Amino acid sequence: MIVVLVVVALTLITISFRSPTAGALHDAQGVGSTVLRPFQIAATRVAQPFRDGYDYLSSLKSAKAENAKLKQQYRQVRAEAIRNHALYLQALQVEKLAHFEQGQTYPSGFRHVNAAVISYPTGPFTHSLVIRAGSSSGIRRNSPVVGGDGSLVGIISNVFPHTADVRLLTDPNSFVPATDLHTGVRGGVHTGTGGTLILDQVLKQNVVKKGDVIVTSGTRNARYPDLYPYGIPIGRVDSVHARDTETFLEVQVQPFTNFGALDAVAVLVPKNPRR
Amino acid sequence: MTFLDGVKAAALLFVAAIAQVSIFSQLHVFGAVPDVLLVSLVSLALLRGSIVGAVGGFFAGLLVDTATLGTMGLTALVLTLAGYWIGRYGETTGRDRAHAPFLSVAVVTVVYQLGLLVVHFVLGESAPGGAVVRSLIPAVALNLILTAPIYALVRRLLRPVERDELTTEVQLLG
Repeated sequence: MIVVLVVVALTLITISFRSPTAGALHDAQGVGSTVLRPFQIAATRVAQPFRDGYDYLSSLKSAKAENAKLKQQYRQVRAEAIRNHALYLQALQVEKLAHFEQGQTYPSGFRHVNAAVISYPTGPFTHSLVIRAGSSSGIRRNSPVVGGDGSLVGIISNVFPHTADVRLLTDPNSFVPATDLHTGVRGGVHTGTGGTLILDQVLKQNVVKKGDVIVTSGTRNARYPDLYPYGIPIGRVDSVHARDTETFLEVQVQPFTNFGALDAVAVLVPKNPRR
Repeated sequence: MTFLDGVKAAALLFVAAIAQVSIFSQLHVFGAVPDVLLVSLVSLALLRGSIVGAVGGFFAGLLVDTATLGTMGLTALVLTLAGYWIGRYGETTGRDRAHAPFLSVAVVTVVYQLGLLVVHFVLGESAPGGAVVRSLIPAVALNLILTAPIYALVRRLLRPVERDELTTEVQLLG
């Protein structure tokens, strides 16, 4: 019996690993996920009052509520400022390079699909969330996902009819082309050692300062459109180090998104489905 | 194991799996997450043996893999082996020992985490060894806290099998 179960499990792993986004097993998993969805929602709702109670008590202790409200307002203002600054920089570029094809695009060509988070990372191995919206809502693979404050959360890595898998920014396989909003220096954001986010591929002669805001670079070449539109806030530069033996700067980025406290996210779905 | 026991065990693991992926996976204490499913499986395996432990672990793992949209069979494989192993311990040396649930949970928590680490590493997926090792002690502590109430609940739900039901003896007549 044990041998049979182990063989079946290994077979499932092999099939799932070889074709993670298509095939009969993928479809069966989608059906299973849809069947389990009501139970997960029910469990979340049952736990919600306890979570709320805990949150309320902890907020009484440290005046968390007021702090969170102020943080929320700050995030909104910051997001607005970043958006305005991004638009301003874009306008400057358009003005300067009017005869060039404009490559960068702000997420204006996207619509938002809001979705609740129904499953969280189950341990240190997983850097993904399951959300309560799928292909029936227009979501498809590689759609960018943002949090409530508009900062980048990750990307859709797998889609089912009513659920979807979000690969978080903290996933080791995640790589996001990014730009320093203040200096225009470009690089790529990915997870470094110890799970911190780093802005990589930044040459040492470039200037990146602590506190600079990092946003997605967007499409640079229309022939090779990027998965992420221009201007989605990623985080703020936490530290910058230049080592003699390294070609690139070591730039640590503190993400704006608190990945441990995501209850709902918004998926950016292109208005033009051919994108 | 009667049909009713099977239904109870299935319901227990189903509820534990759903609670694990929807509720307990959000509770991060010192980098560790309490694993109510693993503790329930260990309790079940201790009370009902290796076959029930392995089958329960397999289907509970499939539920987790389906609910989290993870690699199908991965959690199932590790939980199957964990359930079988603890079941064997329960059938042999662990029987009737008060410390058996606690010892089993402590050991299987470590083995389960390291097993997942190895499987993820073999598959070329994210396998943060440092983070797993750092979270081992808090994970064991959290699961040990859960052990007493969950084992008591499972024991109440599934009547412990008598010795006579487990052992087969040959009676010599005449």
